[in-house]
Amino acid sequence: MADKEKRRSGAAPLGMPDGKATKSDCDKEFLSQAGVGELLRGAILKMVEARSDDPIGFLADHFCNLASVTEPGTAGCGDADQMNNGPQSAQEQQHLNRALWHLRLAHHSQRSAFSNNVCVAYDLLNSTGPRRRAADVPECPEGSCNDSQAEVGGGVRGGLYTQTLQCLCSEGGVPASTSAPLLRRLHCQDHEAVPYDVFRHGVLTCAVFSDYIRQAQRLYAEVCCPDEGPASRALGMAVLGTLREALETSQGSEANCCVNANTTSNSCLEANVKAKRYLEASAKISPYKLGQAMATAQTRGPGGDMDAKEFENAAAELFITRVKVLS
Amino acid sequence: MSSSSSDVLLPVDSSIKPPVFLHLGDTEPLSGVCVLDVTLPFGKTVNVEEISFKNHYTASVSVRLLMMGPPSQWVTAVRDLPLMENPHTEGGSQDYCCIHRTQMQVDPDHVISVRLILKQPSSTWRSFSLEDIRILPHKQQDPEKEVSDWLSDLTLADQHTDLEGLPPPQSVSSSLQQMFALTEVMMQSNETTASIGRFHVDGCYDINLLSLL
Repeated sequence: MADKEKRRSGAAPLGMPDGKATKSDCDKEFLSQAGVGELLRGAILKMVEARSDDPIGFLADHFCNLASVTEPGTAGCGDADQMNNGPQSAQEQQHLNRALWHLRLAHHSQRSAFSNNVCVAYDLLNSTGPRRRAADVPECPEGSCNDSQAEVGGGVRGGLYTQTLQCLCSEGGVPASTSAPLLRRLHCQDHEAVPYDVFRHGVLTCAVFSDYIRQAQRLYAEVCCPDEGPASRALGMAVLGTLREALETSQGSEANCCVNANTTSNSCLEANVKAKRYLEASAKISPYKLGQAMATAQTRGPGGDMDAKEFENAAAELFITRVKVLS
Repeated sequence: MSSSSSDVLLPVDSSIKPPVFLHLGDTEPLSGVCVLDVTLPFGKTVNVEEISFKNHYTASVSVRLLMMGPPSQWVTAVRDLPLMENPHTEGGSQDYCCIHRTQMQVDPDHVISVRLILKQPSSTWRSFSLEDIRILPHKQQDPEKEVSDWLSDLTLADQHTDLEGLPPPQSVSSSLQQMFALTEVMMQSNETTASIGRFHVDGCYDINLLSLL
């Protein structure tokens, strides 16, 4: 038995009798029929993109997700009943979980990986509808965004989209009260169908917002010198004030900039103006200017303390007022 | 840029083409007029402070300048400045001379090229020229004022305020910079968003307001 097994695993050498050659061909055929090559390649590509710390757990999750897609009849209720009202079905919940899993794979700063994942998540949520086909394998990101638009009616359900954003914010460590104003600007009604652009913008904004709030929390920890209790109100306001000034400077109106005599065309002029604005804005949050602002605040600022929550809300407000309201 | 503490003005790097002697037709090659072109470094215009040279038997000199600006044109800065009292004698034939911008008829600013026209009508001196020609630039305000203004605001490293009991500005600044960058990322994404196509006016779908759309 042992020698037969050895010969089976290798490629068929010349001069082998036909019987043995067919066995290894059978293996190859079996593997190609099962599509194992594609499966493994997809898994490895995903792993390279995500670079998670726990490769085995990642692969387990990945294959688990795949299994739940291809397994027929996993939904509790029939497909035809999935309309807007009524409790969310187990199938929708499952799609939401999987979409969130995809969105967590790459950080928003990794642009192409993040965009791919958003596309996949969109397809997943988009395919949750009355005409979903169980045979779909919505795992490949290339071109599927366009394909699924044609299959299902034009967008993710508004309620599902809002839920996705809520989950993203809470998973990112943002308390519900802080993210509520942001969601008011971004959310969609249940009867609306969310197109891909809006979905992407919402997801990106929530991801960036979670980073922003975490950074604000760290900033508070730095400003408050923890053993002395909460930070002074003057100091907190001064620090956030410099950030506000920087943001206002970088978005300054066209009328404030002077014409640079050395520019020869409009695009040069715009680029010059933008560069100048960014330089001025970043100068406002330089260590020197900050030191000045903090020293001034310490001597002349309002009294009292500012706790972490208030600081976080004030920082969040700076961000949220600049988010475009969805219309 | 040389600092203001140095008093020595460096001459502009220029190259002098060989002199061209002008003559009419096929007549004798020595007509007593010679043209010297001084080309300035390419791509930069010069504001001339003065032109200095050593004379070598030139009786008079005219200076023509090619000024920048559409259209570029030649203007006469100095017309027939006598270098020798008497073209036939030695007086002034080997003097060191200098033409200051105040002696010129036009302000020699934004000059692309300088042309010296030498005249020596006397037949006594068959060859004549100017040697060691130098063009000294006019020291004006710093032309890169825009950039240096911004940078001078940013690089006040020597002054530091009293930071007793305050959090370290470096780490606070770096946190703020990250928050600033994140907000900018969000605002850039703002610009590329499609709309979802709502028709309400200020959150209200009242039919009377729809006529405002």
